[in-house]
Amino acid sequence: MTVLRQFPLELRRLLLSRLTWLTMLLTVLSPLAGLAGFGPASAETMQSVYLANPAVAGGALGGALFGLLTVFELNRAGRSRTEALLDAAVSPLAMALVRLLALLAAAVLTLALTLAVWLPVSRQLIGAVFSAADCVLAYAIFFGLALPLGILAAAACFQFTRRADLSLVLFATFAGLSLTVWADDWQLCWLNPRVWALSDDFTNFRIFRSVAWMRLTWLAALAGVWAVSYLCIRRYGKGLAGSLARSVRRVYRPAVALVLLACAGTAYAAQPMVDDSNPDETVMAFYELPYAEDIVCTGRTAQVFPDTAAGTVSGRTTFRFENASGQARTAAFGINPGYTVSSVRANGADVPFSVGDYQEYNRALLEVTLPAAARVELEIEYGGFPRESRNTSTMQGSQEISDDYLWLANDALSPNLMNVLPGEDGYPTVMEITLPAAMTVIPFGTSEAEAVARHDDGTVTWRYEDNGTGGIVYAGDYVREDITTGGMTIQFYYGRKHQAVMEAAGAVEAVQAVVDYCTAHYGRLSFGGGSTLKLIQSRVFGGGYATDGASLLDEADFTAANLDDGTKDAAAGEVMIHELVHQWWGLGNMFDTEGAAGPWSAEGLTVYTTYRIVQELYGEAYAREHYVDQWQQAVDDYYLNFYVRNPEYLERLSADQQLAVTGSLTYVRQYCEMPLKILKAEQLVGGEAAMDQILNRLFNRELDPTYPYLTYQDFLDACGLTEEALELG
Amino acid sequence: MEISIQNVSMTYPNGKQALQDLSLDLQSPSLVGLLGPNGAGKSTLMKLLVAALLPTAGAIRVDGQALPGAERQLKARLGYLPQDFGLFDELTVAQFLDYMAALKGLRDARDAIREAIGAVRLEAQAKTRIRTLSGGQRQRVGIAQALLGSPPFLILDEPTVGLDPEERIHFRNVFSRTAQERLVLLSTHIIEDVQSVCDRIVVLHRGTIRFAGTPEQLIRAAEGHVGVFWERDAVRAPGLHVTARVNTSQGIRCRAVADALPACARPEEPTLEDAYLYLISREAAQ
Repeated sequence: MTVLRQFPLELRRLLLSRLTWLTMLLTVLSPLAGLAGFGPASAETMQSVYLANPAVAGGALGGALFGLLTVFELNRAGRSRTEALLDAAVSPLAMALVRLLALLAAAVLTLALTLAVWLPVSRQLIGAVFSAADCVLAYAIFFGLALPLGILAAAACFQFTRRADLSLVLFATFAGLSLTVWADDWQLCWLNPRVWALSDDFTNFRIFRSVAWMRLTWLAALAGVWAVSYLCIRRYGKGLAGSLARSVRRVYRPAVALVLLACAGTAYAAQPMVDDSNPDETVMAFYELPYAEDIVCTGRTAQVFPDTAAGTVSGRTTFRFENASGQARTAAFGINPGYTVSSVRANGADVPFSVGDYQEYNRALLEVTLPAAARVELEIEYGGFPRESRNTSTMQGSQEISDDYLWLANDALSPNLMNVLPGEDGYPTVMEITLPAAMTVIPFGTSEAEAVARHDDGTVTWRYEDNGTGGIVYAGDYVREDITTGGMTIQFYYGRKHQAVMEAAGAVEAVQAVVDYCTAHYGRLSFGGGSTLKLIQSRVFGGGYATDGASLLDEADFTAANLDDGTKDAAAGEVMIHELVHQWWGLGNMFDTEGAAGPWSAEGLTVYTTYRIVQELYGEAYAREHYVDQWQQAVDDYYLNFYVRNPEYLERLSADQQLAVTGSLTYVRQYCEMPLKILKAEQLVGGEAAMDQILNRLFNRELDPTYPYLTYQDFLDACGLTEEALELG
Repeated sequence: MEISIQNVSMTYPNGKQALQDLSLDLQSPSLVGLLGPNGAGKSTLMKLLVAALLPTAGAIRVDGQALPGAERQLKARLGYLPQDFGLFDELTVAQFLDYMAALKGLRDARDAIREAIGAVRLEAQAKTRIRTLSGGQRQRVGIAQALLGSPPFLILDEPTVGLDPEERIHFRNVFSRTAQERLVLLSTHIIEDVQSVCDRIVVLHRGTIRFAGTPEQLIRAAEGHVGVFWERDAVRAPGLHVTARVNTSQGIRCRAVADALPACARPEEPTLEDAYLYLISREAAQ
């Protein structure tokens, strides 16, 4: 009662202080730091640049400012020597709680003011793809929750030490840890959450959930620490230990602190967002599983039921096996580590199964004992909240499941058979997925999904056929544009939210231009998808990829800024061009990669062709500056690289570091060195037209079915050059 | 209101013993003057009475209930002016009193504030920010917050420090009126304040009670031990404590207390100050 009575009073007193208003004003303005470049989001979507970064930066600065205000306010009674008066009227414990509540209320007020200011500003900056819901959530979670954390941390520091100077040092250290040592640990960076991207065109619930989990974990932890510090509030002239001993006599007080700390510990240890994948990505134990003998998989079906509100998936998949061994066999499946398997039945009877604790590449191992029967129909029921790999925990958000967007790949879609060879027809698959009616299902590949049932709850079941053990499916509120060019139809899918931007930018025409160029120079696409190519705009992903009949385009390459900004005009959609070119250079097993260290891969010809298209579209000067000069710079740096010149030292690094270094070097060799070599070959064979003819012949050559690769030697032979001739001086 | 202090001792963590086996009963209505030299334990006793400290031995009971269990009940009925206190400078006088009234849970805060401001004569400064007040005005704000809501138990530690003589007299009368119905404990070095208004005096010295009774009883104890003499006649008598020296045209006239006055001294009627000094000087001699 005392606390409730005094809370409005303390809040009023707090709001009469100029320092409070200064803190609130600076906090409201602090998102400006995000616009000025301080912020973790590296993606170039509008909401990353104009929402994620301001909200995160504002939260970090606001949290720090409210921490300072807290120390100042808690020290106010001591500084103004009113402690004796106040303590004679109210218990110091009650007063501490009242002060905390008043500061928290001021933080809520600041959040409301910040939203009032930044909602219209964000709307103006972000433009057509602005989402009010994203804006409110971003400011509430990225920004708003930082303020109570700052308050609790600072208040705890003060209540432990009772010294403003020491409290400030402790608080600064704690905040500094988040900004430095813990910055790459998504669970520890309490002040500056790792938000690498926010989607413009689709939802962002996964990253919101992840940051909210982290923030609520810290909220429980710091509330627990604060509750312990509350017990240490000095009373009756006693020191820390004496006050603590006195305060714990009311058992509920330490009990609340312990419960809060236990909640925080549990939330930290049992986080559902990322898995426990082996951080050493050189280990591929699951890929080395021996195949089960005398047994084949003749097909599978799956029914997948994503819960777009909860972000979870449940499903039932059935595999058909022919077991010629006459013995029980163990089938191994990869399954998303967030899923639990509720039932495994073979020919209608329960069979033993286990899910191992070891995880690798975002996959856990489900092992099932198949009976000795000649034909086995295995039904697996599974479900849960799909986890992302901990090795990419600073780039969370890809596993988005909402009624606006969904991406389910391989083990997250259904258990992925790993150690049983296919029958004569491969792994014929019938996949059914039930989603809200507004969503369009797009299998990534040549398959076409069709709606086969509409349900009373507003969902639709889609079905498609595939052949493989995994599979990727996209779904969302998509617009589809059919572009007929180059002898094929391109199904161009992009988010409905982006329709106005796409139409204004003439994206369809750009796609058409690229296909026309490649078809004219290299010929029609002659493999894979046949007459149809799906071009799918994905949620911000950090790149793109392609497969037979489908190519993925990251929404970051279609932002309004990229497409609208005249100064960037030439750069618009270059990743889109790159990924489209992969339809000509690089699908399937077209290239025999020389190995991780080798420069020859699908990327060399793809990057070179992209350069040529960009040169045609935007001019020689632009293409040279943004392609050739950058390749040259990267290659020059490569040759100066310490580990390139002293490879023996590379072996002395840890596996992680080796992987990071070699990954970076491989990128340069494949994306920069090889295009430069091809450019040199172009000069040596007589120019662009001659090189176009060579590439046209290579693209349309007769394939040796036993060795279908396009090798570097093939390329050199076609050019009439030697490897030495293309060495870069 | 009844306060019972039973065999209370207080030793600080640094080993300093502030109070030793102190027992005292206080009942309203009464205005109790608490006297004693610096370091006698007056402030410690007051802090114990407002539950800012806990005794290391003994017990304090408020209307029969032991502290600190009865802390909340005590604070709801307490007005306290510490010797050393501060105010929230950014607030006005009225805002500060409003804040304190709310902390104390007063229902008719507006009336209580008006009454308190009137009692300390700060009507003109009610809307003035505290940071602009003089030292004496700040002291009056402190007294006002103690008087808020007419608490049944008032503890005032050196309340008239920094006030001019006229104000001191005014506040003596305020305290006296307050004590007609309540229990007021007044600690001061200004004997005049005690003499004119207190019905009971407690003298503390080195952590123990050396006297508890009426002012008249204390004065009576000093009768025959106060005298005046010319300084030129003075002899070095053991235990002679000069309490006043007055320059006159005939020389310096001294007033002194002693167990045995020197022959040159003419006995005088003791004042309360003489009696107090006599008591303390005897204690010091022992």
